[in-house]
Amino acid sequence: MQMTMRSFFIGLALAIAFALIGYEANRFVAYLIYAVAISAIGALSLNLLIGFCGQITFAQGAFVGVGAYAGGILGNAGWGGLSLLGAGVFGALVSMLVGLPALRLRGLYFAISTLAAQFILSYLFKILVPWTNGVSGLVVKQLSLFGRPVASDQEYAVICVALLFLSWAFIGRVMQTNVGRAFLVVRESELVARGMGIDVSQTKLKAFLLSGFFAGLCGGLFAFTSRLANPEAFEIGLSVDQTAMIIVGGLGSLAGSLVGAAFVTLLPEAIQRLGELLPSADLISAFREMAFGILIVLFLLLEPRGLVALARRLGARREVASSSPARSGTGVLQSGVAVAAQNRREL
Amino acid sequence: MTLVVTDLSIHFGGVIAVADMNLEVKPREIVGLIGPNGAGKTTFINCIAGVNKPDTGTATWNGREILGLSPAELLRIGVARTFQSVVSLHDLTVLDVVKLGAAAHARNAQGFFGQLFRSDRGGDDELCETLLKPLNLVDVAYSPIQTLSYGQRKSVDLARALASEPELLYLDEPVAGLTYQEGMNMGAVIRSVRDRFGCSVIMVEHKMDVVNSTCDRITVMAHGARIFEGTPAETQQDPEVRRVYLGEA
Amino acid sequence: MLALQLAIAGVAAGSVYALIALGIVLIYKCSGVVNFAQGAYAMLGAYITYFFLRMGFPSIVSVLAGMALMALAGMITERLILRRMLKAQIVSVMMVTLGLLIFLKAVCLAIWGPDQIAFPQIFPSGAIDFAGIFITYNYVAAFALASALNIGFLLFYRFTSLGLMQRCAADNSRAALAIGIHVSNQVSIAWAVSAALAGLGGTLLASLGGLSLGISDIGLIAFPVIVVGGLDSLAGALIAGFLLGILEAFTEGILTPNLEEFLRSVSNVQSVGALQQVIPYALLVLMLLLRPQGIFGRRGAERV
Repeated sequence: MQMTMRSFFIGLALAIAFALIGYEANRFVAYLIYAVAISAIGALSLNLLIGFCGQITFAQGAFVGVGAYAGGILGNAGWGGLSLLGAGVFGALVSMLVGLPALRLRGLYFAISTLAAQFILSYLFKILVPWTNGVSGLVVKQLSLFGRPVASDQEYAVICVALLFLSWAFIGRVMQTNVGRAFLVVRESELVARGMGIDVSQTKLKAFLLSGFFAGLCGGLFAFTSRLANPEAFEIGLSVDQTAMIIVGGLGSLAGSLVGAAFVTLLPEAIQRLGELLPSADLISAFREMAFGILIVLFLLLEPRGLVALARRLGARREVASSSPARSGTGVLQSGVAVAAQNRREL
Repeated sequence: MTLVVTDLSIHFGGVIAVADMNLEVKPREIVGLIGPNGAGKTTFINCIAGVNKPDTGTATWNGREILGLSPAELLRIGVARTFQSVVSLHDLTVLDVVKLGAAAHARNAQGFFGQLFRSDRGGDDELCETLLKPLNLVDVAYSPIQTLSYGQRKSVDLARALASEPELLYLDEPVAGLTYQEGMNMGAVIRSVRDRFGCSVIMVEHKMDVVNSTCDRITVMAHGARIFEGTPAETQQDPEVRRVYLGEA
Repeated sequence: MLALQLAIAGVAAGSVYALIALGIVLIYKCSGVVNFAQGAYAMLGAYITYFFLRMGFPSIVSVLAGMALMALAGMITERLILRRMLKAQIVSVMMVTLGLLIFLKAVCLAIWGPDQIAFPQIFPSGAIDFAGIFITYNYVAAFALASALNIGFLLFYRFTSLGLMQRCAADNSRAALAIGIHVSNQVSIAWAVSAALAGLGGTLLASLGGLSLGISDIGLIAFPVIVVGGLDSLAGALIAGFLLGILEAFTEGILTPNLEEFLRSVSNVQSVGALQQVIPYALLVLMLLLRPQGIFGRRGAERV
């Protein structure tokens, strides 16, 4: 999905709207807003790797964790706003390290190596006690921005929405450069990419670098908003969560990452409310997990291209009656063809 | 600006795919490479396009050895190719693909940060004018590849190869899957591309009417080796060629 | 002697790992899919067996019932879900099996709760004395049963006509179809057998260490096993299973305490935590870097 001028301004408007809401709202709404925003940054980073560049990875949880610990340690050391940058940089570094074997391994083997990386990093978070404080978790002081501590949930909401917007705009812009285009070609066929003169290894490494940076940023924000970096939060469960977000939202879709993040983050909240009718906490938790599992399966079975494609499908049906002044100048027939083409599942 | 291939051989497992193949392409020449299925045509192209490494032989382009160079390196010295099967490149638009092709040429490489912050629109118009118009792709310049017809996608692949400003162009079955009319049009396009850009072309193809009307010279391959070379008219008459294709005594 | 004790524990655990890994390799050969839900099958199998035991059925019946129902579950999974996803991307299929894992764990949580449950004795209690070490019948039986099934399955796969059909279907489904093999049935059978084997594995694990949701984690140990053994090699899964079981036991018993002693003397690091769970993964990485096809796998065997 290309980022046009139109979608840029829509995004900007939405960002401003949510920032304002977050600033004025009560703590709970502000929490929801920043929770979704943080997850969305993670989802964007993962989509960059899996959706745009076609590199399957299970190590997302670990990369976010690296960012969380890096951000927390730097923040505690007094780096202020730069600790978020540090979180991103460390995320990028570790991500590239994990991605290096990708240059030699194919598809499934590579995916399994990322699984190994996830477990090894999770383990390291737990035992490198002098840095991470191990299983007890690292206590993180408040984020301090330009000398001022950020104290309230509302302020965090504004910061997270702003960073989400910047991340979204940056990644969208990257996809409009040759680097981004190369990602897409590498995803479709490494052979064709090579034949077109694209350096496949470098392209993959760039994807890991960018993805890792934003995963780290996500982790840093996570650490500051929860005031704790705890190894249990960065295990394979987080990888699964964020992968679910981009699949539900739409692989390879910018908007899909945001929609998916909102869906997967807010769903447990909704189900929690529903589940409160149930007698015990365990049952509520079980109910929530069951719903999560079923939703993943149903989505993949029925609409594997995610919510965004679903919306487009429903929207296009209504458009058949009138022609759309699309930027590409395609007529009614071709937009129908376009929709049909998108609905065809691609190998 | 000459390609000279000498004694090129390659085998896969127990099968000898190409045996002591020789080929020469002069400047601005369109050479057709034909032969029955399994003759080794595409394998031969893959050998001189940096996809496979041949066992023996040399290939020089402008006096420089090109065997062993990667496709990226070949693109930088002006050797480009199109692909037999057109992969669906998902959301990429026609211009996206063409720009990727242009980026392959060293001169056109614009830095990452340059692209990030500067808008591309001026460059778009120029690409449309020089590359898309001759191929009838201007109307669909901003359309995603997956919405185009098969014939259009093949044209896009050609535009992509041309965007790298090649001096030598390998076309791998450029009219396969096209209708008769589309095929003849493509043939005309290839000739006009040669006229305008001044490149040499090697064209692997099966459709004889397109080959005859497009190529200056034809090389016939069978069982991995060259069995004939001549003008289209001569090729049609040669008994060995007829035997290989039609089984005549 | 410590080493012998560890070796025995490792071999017993390893035989169960092999059981699980065998199922994953079987499915991989047939469907080209890595089944993340295999651990969930093990867990569910254990819980179902437990259910039958609590109802008062004899051990053998309960265990068999567990396996039978898991076979059914495997077949249902394949028919209902996998068959619809033949054209989907690999990441989608992996996520589906992950979704299934999440779902099944939640179901067991809902029905039986989060706490560990003591698993009733299915083997006679007592122990044998082997070179001065006491090995409980539980361990012996687990090892014997798992190994019997492992080897039995390998023999079946190699020497029976049904096994032959399985191999054909797995190797080249189009060719198999052409010679009249009902490939989709074979695939269903593969899933059913894998799930049944996993179910037994889970039951054995429960009999050794108690019944809990954590049994599903065994699915994760299977990855190092299949990579080390070779993604498409059944024999490899068997051997690698034993190797990794022994490696785990030795790590826990010898490496960990010694390493911790060393680390405490030179740094602030107090404990190495669950090193035995991570070492297999470190081995996995090593294997991928040096010899991706594993000890017994074929080069280029994996479908990209």
